[in-house]
Amino acid sequence: MSRLRNPWGRPRGLVLVTAVYVLWSIVPVAVAILFAFNDGRSRTTWQGFSTRWFTGATGSVFHDAALQSSLKHTLLLGVLCVLVATPLGVALALGLQRWRGAGSGSVNTVMLLPLVTPEIVMGVALLLLFLKIFPGIGLGTTAQVIGQVTFTLSYVVVIVRGRLVSIGRDYEEVAADLGAPPRDQLLRVLLPLLAPAIVASAAVVFAISIDDFVVTQYLSSDASTTTVSMLLYSSARGAPTPALNALATVALVITLATLALAFLVYRRFAGGSDAAVAAALEV
Amino acid sequence: MQGEVRLEGLTKRFPDEVVAVDGIDLTMPPGEFFTMVGPSGCGKTTTLRMIAGFERPTSGRILLDGLDVAQIPPHKRSVNTVFQSYALFPHLDVARNVEFGLKYKRLTKQERRLRVAEALDLVQLGGYAGRRPSQLSGGQQQRVALARALVLTPRVLLLDEPLGALDARLRKDLQVELKALQAELGITFVFVTHDQEEALTMSDRVAVMSAGRVEQAGTPREVYEEPATVFVADFLGVSNLITAEAEADGEGCALRIGERSLRAARGDTGARGEVKAMIRPERIGVEAQDAPGENRLPGMVERAVYVGTAHELHVRLVGGDLVKATIPNDGSVPAFAQGAPVTLHLPADAVRVLAPRPG
Repeated sequence: MSRLRNPWGRPRGLVLVTAVYVLWSIVPVAVAILFAFNDGRSRTTWQGFSTRWFTGATGSVFHDAALQSSLKHTLLLGVLCVLVATPLGVALALGLQRWRGAGSGSVNTVMLLPLVTPEIVMGVALLLLFLKIFPGIGLGTTAQVIGQVTFTLSYVVVIVRGRLVSIGRDYEEVAADLGAPPRDQLLRVLLPLLAPAIVASAAVVFAISIDDFVVTQYLSSDASTTTVSMLLYSSARGAPTPALNALATVALVITLATLALAFLVYRRFAGGSDAAVAAALEV
Repeated sequence: MQGEVRLEGLTKRFPDEVVAVDGIDLTMPPGEFFTMVGPSGCGKTTTLRMIAGFERPTSGRILLDGLDVAQIPPHKRSVNTVFQSYALFPHLDVARNVEFGLKYKRLTKQERRLRVAEALDLVQLGGYAGRRPSQLSGGQQQRVALARALVLTPRVLLLDEPLGALDARLRKDLQVELKALQAELGITFVFVTHDQEEALTMSDRVAVMSAGRVEQAGTPREVYEEPATVFVADFLGVSNLITAEAEADGEGCALRIGERSLRAARGDTGARGEVKAMIRPERIGVEAQDAPGENRLPGMVERAVYVGTAHELHVRLVGGDLVKATIPNDGSVPAFAQGAPVTLHLPADAVRVLAPRPG
């Protein structure tokens, strides 16, 4: 009723809903992070501050063999996935942008399919692919990288194409007009202009890769190909210690740092508004 | 002298079957300021893009100093373009922008630097070499784009509405500057604009285009004073076009407009039947009601508009046509207010007969 009486007033109801939602989504994460610093073995009772689950001599993230291995493997998959998906995605984006004619529309749609396909479906499909059709590759790191690239590629294409559209064709035409052959139009003009989008998409790919559970789990082989997310899942019901919270905290910090870096790079070099940057990183 | 562009039967049909340029023939003489002017969609920009090499002609030839370049890619043509958007490379500073194309010429680093400095001086941006494009004003960006093209000493410089994005005052200044620069360098400029005033004031030669065709090409004086078609008369400046019936009158031509008759000495005086009588507002004399003499038409002032430098009268003729007449503002209060009956004097040598296009 107050809104009806005073349409210029603050929308109190909406403010309340927003505040409740923000609390609801942040508090559990904050509590989990807090218990990573618990001095005892409990994940529910606070026993004083300590960093033993990060750096302690036994059972900590930096000294437990299983935790260490999972962290290393997670980062390895992330880096490999970035190295494969980014160049491939940039090339695809450039190709799709140029390709006008029969079939380009359907390929565009297909490129977006991995974004909406349930991950479990993709995981099962990829599992069958590596077991039945390419048994030579088998399960393990290679399969995990290929699997992650399969769906992270779409993000690269979407982000880079968005930037391509906003760049337009003028710069390439100017370069050609000034005498640059097609190779130089790409290397001297287009790639430098795309750099922010490329960095941003690489960061997004990295963040998605280290967060991924379903596909990575399906395509893993043994303990050496266990990632952070898999380890957290499997040991959450076993004998959990705050070391798992510490591990999750490390993963979270890496993800946030990567996305923050991408955001800053994109804003610094693309010169767009914050809203445009957020839209570009919208995943 | 180098820098002649000749277009022969140049045609561009886009995949969606739109004919953007419909078989035009034009000669752009070396060292001249040549302007293509017309409303949006008339094909002027597409023609320019074909000369630059960004669009491939469907048919026809583009002769650059006698050599057909229609199938040569843009990076191998000795023409350069100034874009409407300027498209300065945002990741390079001013000097590197200007230097961009010099990398494809056989020059030493010293020679390149010297040419960049000369080009920046030419456009009066000597002190701006280290700036980023985003730190420059619109007018300065426009000059950098100009320097970046001119540094390559092209035989022909193509300009696609280069002043379109600037405010009116800066536009006027740059019009004068651009014209002076062209005269100094002696490079052929091919200029595209939709602004008829810009076309008339800057050019040595103007091509008025409409619907993918050239309506008329000639000096600014020719196309303004002696428009060949109704479209040209209407597009350039303000024109009065009155429907009339042309009849023989001794050696000349008499135009029957309702009860009255006008003698016309210009245009298609040999035409007979339905034609348009065209006269510029500044050539019409406004006189008191029932003033005697030939070539006079009665009417009534429907609107009197004060435009500062002149008074503009909208006069409804007895036959129903609306005619605009301007009286220079000499400081006196105009004698003809709204509703006043007047007589318009249309001198025979200011009345042009425009026959309808065949077909």
